[in-house]
Amino acid sequence: MNATAMAQPGSQTVQTEKTGGTRIELARCTKTFPDGTRALLPFDLTINGGETLVLLGPSGCGKTTILRLIAGLEFPDAGGKITFGEDDVTRQSIEKRRVGMVFQSYALFPNMTVAENVAYGLKVQKVERRERDERVRAMLEMMHIDMLADRRIDQLSGGQRQRVALARAIALRPRVLLLDEPLTALDAKLRVKLRTEINSLLRKLGITAIYVTHDQEEAMALGDRIVVMQKGAIAQIGTPREIYRAPLSPFVADFVGASNRLDGRIEQNSLVLGDVKISLDQIGHAMTGDPIKNGDSNSNSRSGQGLADIYFRADGLAICAPDQGQIRGRVEAISYLGEKSRLTVSGIGESVITLDVDPDFQIAIGDDIHCRFNPERLTVFGRYPDARNAAQAM
Amino acid sequence: MALQNLGEGRSRPSFSRYFGVSRSAMASPATFMALMAPGVAIVAAFFLIPLVLVAMEVANGPDGWATYLVILTNARYFESLVQTLLMSAGVTVVALILCGIVGMFLVRNRFAGRSVLIGLLTLPLSFPGTVVGFMVIMLAGRQGAVGGISNALIGEKIVFAYDIAGLFIGYLYFSIPRVILAVMASAEKLDPQLEEAARSLGAPRWRVVRDVILPGLMPGLISSGAICFATAMGAFGTAFTLATDIDVLPMVIYTEFTRNANIAVAAALSIALGVITWLCLSAVRFLVGEKADVTTRGGA
Ligand SMILES: Nc1ncnc2c1ncn2[C@@H]1O[C@H](COP(=O)(O)OP(=O)(O)O)[C@@H](O)[C@H]1O
Ligand SMILES: [Mg+2]
Repeated sequence: MNATAMAQPGSQTVQTEKTGGTRIELARCTKTFPDGTRALLPFDLTINGGETLVLLGPSGCGKTTILRLIAGLEFPDAGGKITFGEDDVTRQSIEKRRVGMVFQSYALFPNMTVAENVAYGLKVQKVERRERDERVRAMLEMMHIDMLADRRIDQLSGGQRQRVALARAIALRPRVLLLDEPLTALDAKLRVKLRTEINSLLRKLGITAIYVTHDQEEAMALGDRIVVMQKGAIAQIGTPREIYRAPLSPFVADFVGASNRLDGRIEQNSLVLGDVKISLDQIGHAMTGDPIKNGDSNSNSRSGQGLADIYFRADGLAICAPDQGQIRGRVEAISYLGEKSRLTVSGIGESVITLDVDPDFQIAIGDDIHCRFNPERLTVFGRYPDARNAAQAM
Repeated sequence: MALQNLGEGRSRPSFSRYFGVSRSAMASPATFMALMAPGVAIVAAFFLIPLVLVAMEVANGPDGWATYLVILTNARYFESLVQTLLMSAGVTVVALILCGIVGMFLVRNRFAGRSVLIGLLTLPLSFPGTVVGFMVIMLAGRQGAVGGISNALIGEKIVFAYDIAGLFIGYLYFSIPRVILAVMASAEKLDPQLEEAARSLGAPRWRVVRDVILPGLMPGLISSGAICFATAMGAFGTAFTLATDIDVLPMVIYTEFTRNANIAVAAALSIALGVITWLCLSAVRFLVGEKADVTTRGGA
């Protein structure tokens, strides 16, 4: 795969446009808070009907702010426009927008039972009693919490609370479901379980959903598309595969887990790293064209000479026989992870590199090892000031 | 005491909850008695014994135990009781509404001078009732600021320090700090996302206030309201300083005791004042306490 086919931010590369959900568009939106904080730089974003879009990024990058703009809890600066389908909702208040919200803190009403929580929106909308009870029962059943209907909120576990929050949010059949780090407060095992449930729920409902997380794995598992954010700007939009395999900037590469970094050079269409020379055509993902700016890339021109940043995960480098080796390193630490062992290796780059080996592989701390690159799994960025800044900005 | 239970907004006060230990973790009976002894001694010496003495005093009067009924049968006393109750309830309600809004605002907004404002609002905590009364006179008395200004403007001196308005302002003034502090403590714990969740479900502002904010503030409102009411029922210094033309019950007791040497009646009125205050607080606790109990224990 190479970058030429990559999604430009804002372009629509989604394969399947699902029907039923409301299409949401944010056009020329920015957000400046009264205290002068520029939380969001100008951006456009379209969420297709029925799509699950994940906003991914480090804390403070503006994910929640985008969500709140869509919810109607904040309004964009003058000039911005938000539409739900044909409906211009830019200045519409949250009460009228028909959005479902799920928070990290659950935000369940403590003075009401589970059933009353789920019924609250229906009550406010004056849905008649019989239909209301029926809808609440159906929601509780769908979330597998029908036996908890009369419990009070303080009698529930975290996972149960989040199920109630989901049931409450979808009971009114909102135009869009907004989830702000809904699983962050739960323990790891439950997080994975609930993640799977949310995934199938969203597919079943076919509802437009926007899911905020700082967890790369969660983003990959849930998103039809992922928006990677960096300091109030969109760094990249793409499918999980695109984001994972073809990051547009060092920031994205690093954020989605390509945590090994080496310095190299680009010479005559090849990546040069000490004695090692790999043709750029073999490299999994190379961005060596014009300066990478705000995700805008032109990787056709590969004639560029100069320095390069090489990013890869633990599968980008493998131990091999001495005569096959391209570089040598020294094992500093070994962590046994069950299906594999992860080695921390020094001597290859400025900082240590991690790579995986078979857990039965005989190796000890202090051993010298020979390694070979897996070019398919490397991501190479021609080094330009912009790209450097982006990497350092984290 | 009922007051403290109210303060915690709990429906069934129990020893273990009160002392913050669970029964299983409690010490042996002997240790328990040893720990309790000083408390029991103090309560006995400074509360129970005087209370019994006062209660007994009633029997020495000309009417014997029947004196307890004078508060209901004697028109003057009864009127005083009604006035005191109305005044206290009024002050409590106004203080709760006022401080509910102000406290909520202070918690939710950050602005220059915020801490100074909080300091000023809670300052009256450190003033005795007499001083408050004096301040009301300075404000609205015959030589007061309001009178001076109104005289200059409309040629008429507005004086309200010595009638019900003056007393009301005085009581309100020293009720505000406690209620504001309690409301702010409750409001800090209120998750703003609860309100946002309600609004996302279409709830208009008044419903958010009714369904989310009020239940959240309820424990603080009940506890501070109870203290506010009880304080107003027994307040003396302010009324005394203002030499007000309405007879609040504590003033009546004072007068009967010192001027008329009518000790039996004073004692009966004292006990009645205590019992009626306690009954009112219990009634409120019974009516809204259950709800508050749910609210305090709920939440993420
Ligand atoms: N009400 C506000 N007033 C001022 N600054 C804010 C406000 N809300 C958020 N911010 C700032 O906007 C930026 C983005 O915040 P947020 O959207 O909450 O980030 P994220 O959800 O990605 O962690 C942060 O720098 C944050 O401090
Ligand atoms: Mg956030």
